[in-house]
Amino acid sequence: MVGLSIGEKNFIKGGIAQDMRNDGRKRLTYRPIYVETGVIPQANGSARIKLGPTDVIAGVKAELGKPSQAHPDQGKIYIHVDCSPTAEPSFEGRGGEELSAELTAALEGCLLGGKSGAGAGIDPSSLSIKEGKVCWDLYIDCLVISSGGNLLDALGAAIKAALSNTGIPRVQVREAASSDEQADVDVSDEEFLQFDTSGIPVIVTLIKVGRHYIVDATSEEESLMNSAVSISVNRQGLVCGLTKRGGIGLDPSVILDMISVAKHVSEQLINKLDSEIEAAEKAHEDEP
Amino acid sequence: MEYVNPEGLRLDGRRPMEMRQIRAEIGVVSRADGSASFEMGNTKVIAAVYGPREVQNRSQQINDQALVRCEYSMANFSTGDRRRKNKGDRRSTEISLVIRQTMEACILTHLMPRSQIDIFVQVLQADGGTRSACINAATLALADAGIPMRDLVTSCSAGYLNSTPLLDLNYLEDSAGGPDVTVGILPKLDKVTLLQMDAKLPIDTFETVMQLAVEGCKAVESYIREILLENTKKLEIRRGA
Repeated sequence: MVGLSIGEKNFIKGGIAQDMRNDGRKRLTYRPIYVETGVIPQANGSARIKLGPTDVIAGVKAELGKPSQAHPDQGKIYIHVDCSPTAEPSFEGRGGEELSAELTAALEGCLLGGKSGAGAGIDPSSLSIKEGKVCWDLYIDCLVISSGGNLLDALGAAIKAALSNTGIPRVQVREAASSDEQADVDVSDEEFLQFDTSGIPVIVTLIKVGRHYIVDATSEEESLMNSAVSISVNRQGLVCGLTKRGGIGLDPSVILDMISVAKHVSEQLINKLDSEIEAAEKAHEDEP
Repeated sequence: MEYVNPEGLRLDGRRPMEMRQIRAEIGVVSRADGSASFEMGNTKVIAAVYGPREVQNRSQQINDQALVRCEYSMANFSTGDRRRKNKGDRRSTEISLVIRQTMEACILTHLMPRSQIDIFVQVLQADGGTRSACINAATLALADAGIPMRDLVTSCSAGYLNSTPLLDLNYLEDSAGGPDVTVGILPKLDKVTLLQMDAKLPIDTFETVMQLAVEGCKAVESYIREILLENTKKLEIRRGA
């Protein structure tokens, strides 16, 4: 919890009203994003994102599994967020679970699309190996190491970067003798398939303080928020998901306005993030 | 299975008395009072220290010394095959306890009565020797937080496979079923604060294995001191600027 005096609160609010925040940013400017990929060698793909003091890691693991009855031609994707007590002593024991659940739900809503898998950032049918028999199960585990505000955007960016870093082994299906037998598969340890990550949206969280909204809030600014709206927007500028969290109610027209602002901000964020991911991938490959 | 080949090399190409590459960094969690990351080969952990601060749960307050608490957690992606582990399973409770007791032994708790020090260790990658890596990371984090200590605690493990004493076991060697001796020492005072062993070992062999682990601890200590010195120099430069 952030303890702020009335004076400090007014100072932050005044700064936001004058488009000059405490750290010198404008209302719609992000902090510099630092991306590192391939941080967890044991995972199929991983990335670490730092946004000021916020520090998160996402790891992607692929396992062979059985497709669900309802969608035999699709793989499954699971997202899970863990809040490490290193980020905040109150996350100790079961303390971080509530926040973990909230973040997980918001990320699922923003990235995985509907129940049928339509509108998902990653096409679940690309994870299918043999219809009704085998598919890839994608486990996306995120870990919050340090929290300095705007966790959701950082987690969204980390997942995007981790998926760009992910290589799924190529799989050959040997024809099984009878149809109900367990499918026989050959997992290659040399050939890896990359995901098409261009469709994965970024998440932009707008926080309303007073009459204005700001992006990429620090934890001090988050403690002053009236309400927060997280909007995920893809490269085409389409809204893929929306979550409103906390605070008092919002006027519907304000939400529409927020969406258009988020759309505008997301363009810059996607470009920035893509170039950072590319640079990180390059740095990772250059390493011996 | 052959853990040491005829040329005297281990599975990962090390010699029996060779440690994995160690790497440490101070100040990885900016919001904590002290923090550090510690890597031993593919094992990577982060430790964060909060405190000394007001005791959160009044009933736990100790009137003549500080309360030291520790929590160990493993990331879902840290192990080779993904496992969902609930928080507070037996293994992590046991390791939390071990780390707490080891660190408590070196913190000058009587200087900070009615206060609380929290040590949180998070395993990012597990490849054997997480216990040792956690203790080493916790030492660095405590030093970074400026908490008064008797000495730096350092830890290292050693084992005995194919009639050869091996320093700093990795996961494959650790799961071979041979003895695994984890030692924690206070290098300056030359005292052992942590000693754990599973499986059995003849007494004279135990002595050599333990001696090997102690040598490992000393190597870790000299590295940790280097890192701390470097960090202090950096702080000095920043202050002068």
